[in-house]
Amino acid sequence: MNATTPQAAIAVNRFGLGAKGDELAQANANPKAWLKQQLQPIKLSNSLYTSDYILTELAKYGEARRQAKKSKNAEAEFDKTNKERGKFLQNSYRGLSTDTFVAGLNSNNSVSWRLLDFFSNHFSVSASGPQMTAIASTLEREAIAPNLLGNFEDMLLAVTKHPAMIVYLNNERSFGPNSRIGKKGRGLNENLAREILELHTLGVDGGYQQQDVIELAKGITGWSIANPRKEDTVGFMYRSWGKEPGDRVLLGKAYKQEGMAQGEAMLKDLANHPKTANYVCSKLVKHFISDKPSPDLVNILVATWQKSGGNIKAVMNAMIDSDLAWQAQKQKFKTPREFVMSSLRAVGKKNIKPKELFFTLNTFGQQPMQAGSPAGYSDEQQDWDGANALMSKIDWVSLLARKSKANAEKVMQQTLNLKPSEHTYKSVVRAESRTQALALLLLSPEFLRR
Amino acid sequence: MKRRQFVKMLGASASLVAMQSPVLAAINKSSKKPAKIVWLVLRGAMDSLHTVVPVTDPDYVALRPKLSKAFKDELLPLDANFALHPSLKHLHSLYKNKQMSPVVAVGSGYPKRSHFDGQDYLESGLSTMNHDTGWLGRAMNQLELQPNSKALAVANSVPISLRDTNKVSSWYPTNLKDADESIYDSLMNLYQDDELLLSRLNEGLNTQQMAGENTSKKRAKFIDLARSCGKLLASDNGTDCAMLEFGGWDTHNNQAFRLAKQLSDLDSGIAALQQELGEHWQNTVVMVATEFGRTVKENGTGGTDHGTGGAMFMLGGAVNGGKVLGNWPGLKAEQLFAGRDLMPTTSTFSWIATVLQQHWQLSNADISKVFPDAKAYKVKLTA
Repeated sequence: MNATTPQAAIAVNRFGLGAKGDELAQANANPKAWLKQQLQPIKLSNSLYTSDYILTELAKYGEARRQAKKSKNAEAEFDKTNKERGKFLQNSYRGLSTDTFVAGLNSNNSVSWRLLDFFSNHFSVSASGPQMTAIASTLEREAIAPNLLGNFEDMLLAVTKHPAMIVYLNNERSFGPNSRIGKKGRGLNENLAREILELHTLGVDGGYQQQDVIELAKGITGWSIANPRKEDTVGFMYRSWGKEPGDRVLLGKAYKQEGMAQGEAMLKDLANHPKTANYVCSKLVKHFISDKPSPDLVNILVATWQKSGGNIKAVMNAMIDSDLAWQAQKQKFKTPREFVMSSLRAVGKKNIKPKELFFTLNTFGQQPMQAGSPAGYSDEQQDWDGANALMSKIDWVSLLARKSKANAEKVMQQTLNLKPSEHTYKSVVRAESRTQALALLLLSPEFLRR
Repeated sequence: MKRRQFVKMLGASASLVAMQSPVLAAINKSSKKPAKIVWLVLRGAMDSLHTVVPVTDPDYVALRPKLSKAFKDELLPLDANFALHPSLKHLHSLYKNKQMSPVVAVGSGYPKRSHFDGQDYLESGLSTMNHDTGWLGRAMNQLELQPNSKALAVANSVPISLRDTNKVSSWYPTNLKDADESIYDSLMNLYQDDELLLSRLNEGLNTQQMAGENTSKKRAKFIDLARSCGKLLASDNGTDCAMLEFGGWDTHNNQAFRLAKQLSDLDSGIAALQQELGEHWQNTVVMVATEFGRTVKENGTGGTDHGTGGAMFMLGGAVNGGKVLGNWPGLKAEQLFAGRDLMPTTSTFSWIATVLQQHWQLSNADISKVFPDAKAYKVKLTA
């Protein structure tokens, strides 16, 4: 009856975004090899808004608002431009986030897309305020996706220089007290530097001190974004007149570089610091395998990280190769995004409209780019397994099942490796209607976990 | 029994019915109101013996020692041999007003016992399954009497019954929550070995109950769907055909309690439908069917398992009711289908065809397109 092995189901559901079509069958012959060949660069549509375009448009809207205020019919004009801008903000935010989601939904390399989701949450930015609403969704597309299978160092640099991160953590106006502009009263903002140390690299227990936060913050002073209205450029901009002059000491190491090179050198060292290897590898294992990462598995990843210079693809291959990642028991409770994604893939849905996606994820408390904290969304079961969450899932799944023509038995065969003797298998095939069978399958203990 | 013989037998008994009631096909009286049809599918297999109870059958009590004594109130008498479950008060009053007839020992011809396949079969009306076409959809295409009539599926997507016509739309109330009641029982069972999920489900249901009427969204109850369906059919927009679905009939355990509630919900739903239809009730036929019946013997958990022969209801102002239709085969071992199920003696599809012929005036040629394997009976079914 079940032609596929338990390993195939683990491959597509635990490592990937959930089985769709005949993926289980594809993975069956050699699940590990199948997973490794899934580590492919991610391709995103380039016909959509870029952060450069968005920032240019925002500057235009800013100008229009100023003009409107001056016009005869100020209130009405201002209202009108405000509405237009609001529409543009939502189009950018929802359009881009939905495009990313739908690309994952249809991807045949869903392991890479899970990895994108992981790093997007690792470098979490929130769509709060007009500017962040418009550009939050561009970070994962422009800074994370292109570096997904390369070295962590490159990803960290790309993210730290991306307008979304710079604006989100207020570095665009962080200037050295002894810089030219600092002498006119402008000062340091530690926000980005602190989160780089605490959340992006070493981790909160990474052994850094307040002095290290200040030193890193000074190292990246002047890392800012252009004002397209006044300056003939857009996006990341290094403002030398805001850079704190002089040598820096971070974690006991001196940095004598000048200009941008100083901050870059600091970030490269942080990316390759053993604590970073440990912190990111632990998070990876926690995300893919278990809320309580096995130290042995983490060590395997860390060793690979160090040998490969923080190469993410090599680290992923090491995780796939280790039998410790393939324990039979499902130890991860799906986050709402994972649950929605895997359900839609299971029933063969190929598209979802922004309104529906946002309504759904909002109901479940995991809207794209809305973690509200640079720490991102929780990756732990206890934050997602509440009674209310289950009731919402029951409603959502019931609706999905009623709208779907997918055959529950077939979907069960294509997603989970269940034996006919198992309780869920029996419950699904004995359900009182096809609709209920599909709902029960998607709400089963096996499907809620991976 | 081989499937072929089984189908043949259904055909044979058709003529039996015709002999008993040699009435010519009645032509729908030329009222100006459009002839309306409501098709209600009870998903999960309603137990016919507990609903239209064969009170005089000598084997009934022995086969169901507990269930036959589990009725909380007096049964509601129909004719000399049958009585209705006490929850069906409104249906009983319709029967007395000659606006309702149950059909006993009826079957679609589906010879196995899978809910899914049985429902697909009942909805497609074809002996070879095709999920893209349903009998009611095909009937809509043949409805020359009212060429502008439209059909409505009270569902989120068009069920098989109404597929294959472009005259159908689906509608589902947005002010209702999306899960219906029957899913919770099934989930309780599904989570029996999962402590965490089971406790979360209980917790969630308790909270929901406490919130109760305060929440703006209610669970989708059959009565709400039936009421909305009646409103839409009564509004003057050409909707003359509707399909409703009602789940929760798979009573493998605790049947007496569960059916009392299910049937009561069915009864009040029909009453609500009638009320909303208003004067249109007079030109409406409601057909109520389920995919198959249940075992004649009760099982060890106070329930019944999947069977074959079952019951259906014809009701509405346009029905010539007040009779128990069909032929009772008896409950002795040798009278049962496969030694365990009520033997179907007439065909669900032929009864439906009879309504289509008399109420929508479909010709024999039309009927053969709707049901290639079934013919209309010559019983006068509509008023």
